[in-house]
Amino acid sequence: MNDHQIPTPQRSLFDRLADMNETTLAVLLLAPAFIFISIIVVYPVATLVWNSFNDVRLLTGAPSRWVGLENYLLLLADAQFWRATKNTMIIVLVTVPGSLVVGLGLALLANMPFKWRGPIRLSLLLPWATPLAFVGLIFAWFFHSEYGVFNDLLRRLGLAPQIWFNSPTLTMMAICIATIWKTSSFMALILLAGLQTIPKSLYEAADVDGASKWRQFTDITLPLLVPSMLVALIFRTLTAIQSFDIPYSMPGPGEETQTLAMYIHMNAVDYLDLGYSSALAVVMFGLSMATTFIYLRYVKADGK
Amino acid sequence: MTVFLATMYRAMHAQAQVQVQVPTQTNLKVLVGGQHRPDIFRELLKDYEAANPGVKVTLESGGATSELLQRYLNTVLTARDSSLDAFLIDVVRPAQYAAAKWAEPIDPYLGNEREAFLSRYLPLYRAANTIDGKTISLPAFSDAMYLYYRKDLLEKVGEKPPTTWPELARIAKKVMAQEKDPNLQGLSFQAKAIEGTVCTFLLPYWSMGGEVVKDGKLQFDRQKAEAGLAMWRQMVSDGVSKANVSEVGTDDTRKEFQAGRVVFGVLWGYGWNLFQSGADSRVKGKVGVVKLPAMPGGESVSCMGGWSWAVSAFSRNKAETVKLVRWLSSPEVAKQLAIRGSMQPVFPDVFTDPDVLRVNPWLADALPVVETARPRPVTPMYRPISDALRLNTNAVMAGARKPDAALDEIEHRIKRALR
Repeated sequence: MNDHQIPTPQRSLFDRLADMNETTLAVLLLAPAFIFISIIVVYPVATLVWNSFNDVRLLTGAPSRWVGLENYLLLLADAQFWRATKNTMIIVLVTVPGSLVVGLGLALLANMPFKWRGPIRLSLLLPWATPLAFVGLIFAWFFHSEYGVFNDLLRRLGLAPQIWFNSPTLTMMAICIATIWKTSSFMALILLAGLQTIPKSLYEAADVDGASKWRQFTDITLPLLVPSMLVALIFRTLTAIQSFDIPYSMPGPGEETQTLAMYIHMNAVDYLDLGYSSALAVVMFGLSMATTFIYLRYVKADGK
Repeated sequence: MTVFLATMYRAMHAQAQVQVQVPTQTNLKVLVGGQHRPDIFRELLKDYEAANPGVKVTLESGGATSELLQRYLNTVLTARDSSLDAFLIDVVRPAQYAAAKWAEPIDPYLGNEREAFLSRYLPLYRAANTIDGKTISLPAFSDAMYLYYRKDLLEKVGEKPPTTWPELARIAKKVMAQEKDPNLQGLSFQAKAIEGTVCTFLLPYWSMGGEVVKDGKLQFDRQKAEAGLAMWRQMVSDGVSKANVSEVGTDDTRKEFQAGRVVFGVLWGYGWNLFQSGADSRVKGKVGVVKLPAMPGGESVSCMGGWSWAVSAFSRNKAETVKLVRWLSSPEVAKQLAIRGSMQPVFPDVFTDPDVLRVNPWLADALPVVETARPRPVTPMYRPISDALRLNTNAVMAGARKPDAALDEIEHRIKRALR
């Protein structure tokens, strides 16, 4: 016990670190990251969950009070919550596969060896670089019943122009078109990177064996792209669940095309009802977590 | 070392003395909406700065609509941010500001002159800014909805302005049949999901004697609400109003009327100035203004509008800001706002001021409309109520929701907001 009592006034920091046992060192090294994450992730998420069990309505001026599951019960009886969840699910189910297909097409195009490959790749980046709200506003103009280019096209084709934003179905279509346009380039970017990791020798061997281009695509390109696709799909699905900017700038009639994120924003920022909006956010958090787990299981299964 | 400290001390001392000699300057920052003619306010504030040396006022302009401006203020004030000293708030909001304690009550600063000061305002506007006996904000300008009409077109068919909505539809159809202009619409009103659409819902509802909130509780008359929505829907199905009315916002009505494509327009007071003196106006000298039509058997009502100056509860210069806001809410400024921007005064005397009437002759007839306009529901929970009314009206007018379902939702949402 007394071994360490020999006075060592000149010990350097390095000596002291070297003397430390592994656990202490680990704690010391992880502490900054832990503190950081606690402040910027754990604390806000914990506050969110705590608020969801309280009545925190800043507009009433009353102090917040514990209400247990009341916010969650209100949520279950709230038609707008279900409508918003349904809309969010539609956007996920339409735009995720939609942008995968369009993105794959774009990636294959950009991967082809031809003269205009440079400009094509550059233009591929443009939608990705455009802010979401701009895309929403631009497409809102495209679909405007009087000044919009889509109705102009319909008229030129001899079809009846539509009042797009009068109909929830047409508005959802417009939102999905805008979202696919916007997000396909992100898909294409990741898939293009994936395409470039596929060795050329595989195609050369297939050519020698006399496999058609289609066989090459289904038997070489697609299977080898699966890991990139999964990565792209996780990101895309999560952002689709959180859809806000585009549906927000392309509002349909009433609240018929509101998404979950928009409903949370409305309750939090406009009504200052932090309790209820937190409960909504917890539900959305749950949805995102569940989606991620499902994808991760796929990734794991794929790895085996 | 001592020499160094001594020098430092002397330098600091000297600086402190210099600071004492410079008169202290107060920097104030006020916020108005993009629709409030910040250009005019900026000019007026120069006069204030000239008369009050030592005060510098910065004007910021924010969201173009009432909802957008309030959304910004919600975040600023929830954060107890002191960077804004005063702001314009919509006449529907003092109750919210009182409950959330965001506005500094003006009364303590008025002292003995309180009664004399407040009694100068139109009683309706004084009442709208007083919550539980406290003056939450000072009226800046008033507003109400009017029926604008094309004098020339009505004369052609030998008709007088209508007093009921069915009469309006009849005259509009007559004019449209006479003009045979496919671009001419009979009536333009707003059903886009904006704050003004709350008034679209309320106008026929009030006209039949309906109320929304009484003593903090929902008092909803379903039949009247249904009849009101049916009246607006009839306008569209009869071809008097455009089918895309759910896309029409306040300024769309103004622009289309100004372009000469509307016979009747339901619009706030700001239209007049632009119709009569807008550079591209095609209706100069052809515009008439009357009070809004009533439902058959009901009374003519208008929706009370207008904005007020509130002093931030988080301002670091409250006394100076109250002084500024008192000036901004004074008859002199009200007169300038009326002359330069056709913003309606909140003082009866300014309505009849000869200089004001020379530019805005319609104001002579506007006073009785403003005096009898109805305030939208007064409650801290106004915003969710407004959403329930305007979003459902918008959905019904778009044909996306059945009136029955919309009325169910309105009832459910308002009850929940007032829980």
